[in-house]
Amino acid sequence: MSEERVISHSDIEKAINSVKAIKDGPRALQLYMDICAKCGTCAEQCHVSKANPNRRTNPAARSDLIRKLYKQDGSILTKISGLLNGNNKSLSADDLQTWVRDFYECSGCRRCALYCPFGIDNSVITRKGRAIVHALGLSPKMMVQTQETSDKFGNDEGQTYKSFMNAVEFLESELEEEHGIPIKIPVDQEADILFVPASADLISFPETQMGSATFFHAAGLNWTMSSKAFDGANFGLFTGDDAHMKRKNKVLHDACLELKVKKLVIGECGHAYRIAKRIGGPFYWGNDIPYEVTNIFILAAEKLRKGAFKLDPGRNAEPVTYHDPCNFARSTGVIEEPRALLRACVTDFREMTPNRENNWCCGGGGGLAVMDGKEGVKKNEVTFMEYRMNVGGKMKLNQIKETGAKYVAAPCANCKRQIMQLMDYHKMDVKVGGVFDLFDKAVILDK
Amino acid sequence: MTVIKLVVGGILPYITLVVFLWGIIYKIRKWNKAAQGKMTLYPTPSTPGGKWRKIIKEILIFQSLFKGNRALWGGTWIFHASLALIFIGHFRVVTDFPILWRALGMGKDDVDTFSATVGGIAGLIILVMGIYLLFRRMVIQRVKEISDGEDYFTLGLILAIIISGDIMRFITHFDLVQSREYFAALVTFSRVSVPADPAFLVHFFLGQLLIIYIPFSKFLHIPGAFYSKSIIYQE
Ligand code: HEM
Ligand code: SF4
Ligand code: SF4
Repeated sequence: MSEERVISHSDIEKAINSVKAIKDGPRALQLYMDICAKCGTCAEQCHVSKANPNRRTNPAARSDLIRKLYKQDGSILTKISGLLNGNNKSLSADDLQTWVRDFYECSGCRRCALYCPFGIDNSVITRKGRAIVHALGLSPKMMVQTQETSDKFGNDEGQTYKSFMNAVEFLESELEEEHGIPIKIPVDQEADILFVPASADLISFPETQMGSATFFHAAGLNWTMSSKAFDGANFGLFTGDDAHMKRKNKVLHDACLELKVKKLVIGECGHAYRIAKRIGGPFYWGNDIPYEVTNIFILAAEKLRKGAFKLDPGRNAEPVTYHDPCNFARSTGVIEEPRALLRACVTDFREMTPNRENNWCCGGGGGLAVMDGKEGVKKNEVTFMEYRMNVGGKMKLNQIKETGAKYVAAPCANCKRQIMQLMDYHKMDVKVGGVFDLFDKAVILDK
Repeated sequence: MTVIKLVVGGILPYITLVVFLWGIIYKIRKWNKAAQGKMTLYPTPSTPGGKWRKIIKEILIFQSLFKGNRALWGGTWIFHASLALIFIGHFRVVTDFPILWRALGMGKDDVDTFSATVGGIAGLIILVMGIYLLFRRMVIQRVKEISDGEDYFTLGLILAIIISGDIMRFITHFDLVQSREYFAALVTFSRVSVPADPAFLVHFFLGQLLIIYIPFSKFLHIPGAFYSKSIIYQE
């Protein structure tokens, strides 16, 4: 991980072997190596490629970094097609350094897959590329550090039992001050629901965490948090480190069993929900696990329909827009629920264009949002911060400007950080927060 | 000439058939065997029926591409639709369907006029669209920068097939009776008399090259489209 990391011959061999292994790998990867028609549509639909159009940001070209290597299998046929494609060049140490940069310029948002005539999801190839450089210890520093912290503490922030309990206590006193009645954040109790946000919410976005607590209170739900499992974030998705992803998901799984809950409810964190719902949970631990995985929006939208709480949207009178996190809209289909809740909580709701599954990524996806410096990535010309502000976030910035909104509700810790910085950097007078921040203000509690 | 006729018409067809079948079966079996986790792209139909309806719609009207790239959609949809028509039309090259024509109440002349009109128009349209596809590949920067030899080779091959086909239709007026006799002999492993029209020989040779090339190239998108769409529409 040091800047002086020298790439050896055996590193290169390892990388090549992992690429070759695709031929017995997942079906999607095999197909994506075979069928891309090089039609150029993905370049028109990728926020990175739109903001900074050049060959290196073209999704098909990025995927070709791996595809071309994959197609060199030494057979006569591929030698001929290699001649046609000029891809008989073998991998160099320099190329591998370029991989790190290029695969961390794709935020894994899956927007390209929506428009590709074959539904090719370039983020799958990106993740494969990231997995390869990760295995060689070339991942950006922040990615590696976060995983290490997480393995040690069970959360990405490195919070201890004590600091977690302090945060809970603090939030409870804030809640009481705000609402004039005690609102509990139960910890380590057997309950129906285990609530897991991204641990960043506890420190960086306390309003979201408070709003979530108020929701459980207002809806009369029997819930708890766990002092061991209060972080749904999982960088294994970003680094391509499947083993880490599973370890971190196990923390949640174990807590669910320990606290005998019926539901694991993920908070405002898109990738946390995607992993808990679509990758981990029953897919890791079997279909007979005693809990169901869902998220706070699905729960809240259902309670809203049933009239479980009263809301006064007049308390949120400024124009509000909603940012669809990629991992909620495209990857888990949580699209209408947050909107239903927002509409009930604010008076002036404005859609961005495009929205829902067509939404542009904020530019902070795929773990990018937490990286500010160059993170030891040799080929980076600018810092991740500058990249996010000027390239990754450009489409989002324009979209937000067009709405004229004064508040962006972005229910994902990564999106929140990215959009907050984006507003700051471009001197926009726009607040950024969660959906439940607004709920907390709008809800009318029985005293 | 006799050697060329023998190779292109007497030997290559069997090789083409074997290589194509082996290649495509190998690929499809490989895809079928490969494991695949869930990677649904929402919103997506929640029933298997809905999923297949959506896939069929994609295959028939290229819905994603329509949303993603309108200009390419126009060109490539017309290109593929003509291709589909021409593919169907080629059944008549191999054999005739008198029962079908009688059922439709069409005489021999009607059928010939009909196929000359539809086939002729499709043959010209696909030529224009093929040129358009090549043109955009060479001109539009975002496409040009991802195009390799293979991409130009496939388009060049297609265009050469189209042009030689159009020459047969409009210039040498190739008589289908010759090809039907030829194919009948081919499938019964009898002595074949290969049609001597040079345009036919070129067209037939390149066509076989294309078929051989399918399992080893981006033409795998033909069967692959079903598989890749099926992965992301999986509820
Ligand atoms: C199943 C749905 C299909 C879709 C969505 C699809 C889509 C596409 C697209 C987007 C291109 C790229 C055009 C370009 O820029 O060159 C293409 C090329 C092509 N497709 Fe398809 N295709 C499909 C099925 C087929 C089928 C059934 C055939 C049958 C022969 C076919 C033959 C071709 C050919 C010959 C080309 C031109 C080759 C090239 O551009 O290099 N496709 N297709
Ligand atoms: S849109 Fe799909 S087929 Fe077209 S270049 Fe991109 S990945 Fe390849
Ligand atoms: S996943 Fe998103 S960032 Fe990556 S290539 Fe596709 S559209 Fe671009």
